[in-house]
Amino acid sequence: MTSLTQDPLLWILLVVLIAAVVAVMRARRTNMALRRTKKDLETGLGEARGDVGQLHAHVTALNTQHQRDLADVRADAEASTKAVLKSAMGTLQSLAEEQQVLLDDLLKKYGDTTDVLGDLMAVDHTGSQFGRRAKGISVLCGGWLGRREGLATVYDVARSAQGRIKDFNRVSVHSQVNVSLVGKAVEPVAVVLAELLDNATNYSAPGTPVEVNIQTVPSGVCFIVDDAGLGMDQETKDRAATLLSVDGPVDITGLGDPPRFGFAVCGMLAARYGFAVSVGSVSPYGGVRAVIRVPESLLAPDAPAPVADVRDTAVPEAAPQRLAPVPVVGPSHVVGTTTGGLPKRRRRSGPVTVVPALDNADGEGTSEPASEVTASRLGAFARGTQLGRTTKTTEGSDDQ
Amino acid sequence: MTTPGGEAPVTSDFVRSYVITGGRTLPDADDLALHTLVTLAPERKPPLGAGPEVMAIWNLCAGGYLSVAEVAGHVGLPVGVARLLLTDLSEQGHLLRRAEPPRAQNVDRATLEKVLNGLQSLIG
Repeated sequence: MTSLTQDPLLWILLVVLIAAVVAVMRARRTNMALRRTKKDLETGLGEARGDVGQLHAHVTALNTQHQRDLADVRADAEASTKAVLKSAMGTLQSLAEEQQVLLDDLLKKYGDTTDVLGDLMAVDHTGSQFGRRAKGISVLCGGWLGRREGLATVYDVARSAQGRIKDFNRVSVHSQVNVSLVGKAVEPVAVVLAELLDNATNYSAPGTPVEVNIQTVPSGVCFIVDDAGLGMDQETKDRAATLLSVDGPVDITGLGDPPRFGFAVCGMLAARYGFAVSVGSVSPYGGVRAVIRVPESLLAPDAPAPVADVRDTAVPEAAPQRLAPVPVVGPSHVVGTTTGGLPKRRRRSGPVTVVPALDNADGEGTSEPASEVTASRLGAFARGTQLGRTTKTTEGSDDQ
Repeated sequence: MTTPGGEAPVTSDFVRSYVITGGRTLPDADDLALHTLVTLAPERKPPLGAGPEVMAIWNLCAGGYLSVAEVAGHVGLPVGVARLLLTDLSEQGHLLRRAEPPRAQNVDRATLEKVLNGLQSLIG
């Protein structure tokens, strides 16, 4: 035993053992401390993750709110811009209309002065284009076009539209249809057709024809515009289709610079008045074919038959009665009863002033045969004038 | 201009006159003076594709001689425009025209009195 205790190896072993035990103890303590720290850290991490999640949600909410506010602000700005533009355009519209009415009078007043008339027509043409632009912008801003009283034939609607574009003489209108549009549809269809014609003339080579064909279809009437341009690429087609099918306010700031109002105006008016516009197809000339389909509800129920009368209904001034007195065949002496100086011209005084004086006195004062005798005796004076102005029919009635 | 619920009426001529002329140059006034009388030639049919204005003129002129000014007045067109349409019809041979009747010569009063006296003696 003593020998064992004397053995240095034993002591060495003992020392090593103690050292090992101490080391294990320390390692264990450290391990436990580390585990604790790890646990703490894990908890911290979880909390931090939660926080991050919350923050994320918050940011998303804020972002959405921001987007919404921005859209609201945009809509507000758009609405107020539109309101301002609408009222400004309204003023321009009424000025343009006033100018056209003025020009109507001037054209009649200076109708016989060829040069002046030509110049006035040029002014009228620019005025019409100006009016169309003002109307287009006004419509996009929620304004109105102005209402025409009375019907207008589809042919006149097409010609009116033709007059509102720059290259109007490249357009030819073909109509075998004798149908009229109701008053409220007249201006909208004319404006839309003018926009389509403007497009057609702008996007086809100068000098190439643009045709408007008007055809009846079972559900109404179609205005078909064909040009000989290059057609539209897919992007333009898509853009047009989007604008034409719009059902609500149009974002006018999104129409480009310079703004292209045309299709937007068409879509807006078509939706508002209930007709259809499409531009997708290809024309027989290789260009674009645009079609306006006006439903039966916008057509006048009773289309007037003769073309000449139709013009009269379109222009309320030219009442049909003004045409009626032309056959002067009937009553022989009911002269001067018609309004508007109608062609009862055998009564009008000729250059020789003596003749009508006698004629009147005889016609009213004495019996018919007496005046006849006098008239025949004074015939020499009147020959140069009366014969020149007398038709076969009036000669007949004079003799009665 | 725009009142809520109601649109302002538009009263200007719907089809503008430069569209009716097709943007063509207007003929000189010398050709068809205001007082030139026109009527439809017999046995004529309206040209194919005649516009409403041409048809209105056609119907007017069918009734007998009318002056250019009267035609313009009745169809409600500026004289120059009516003159262009009439010139077209005339060139297509649809119209007969007669120059304005010559202005009466101023006859001196003495001659007129003589004639009057003669007539009075004739009529008694």
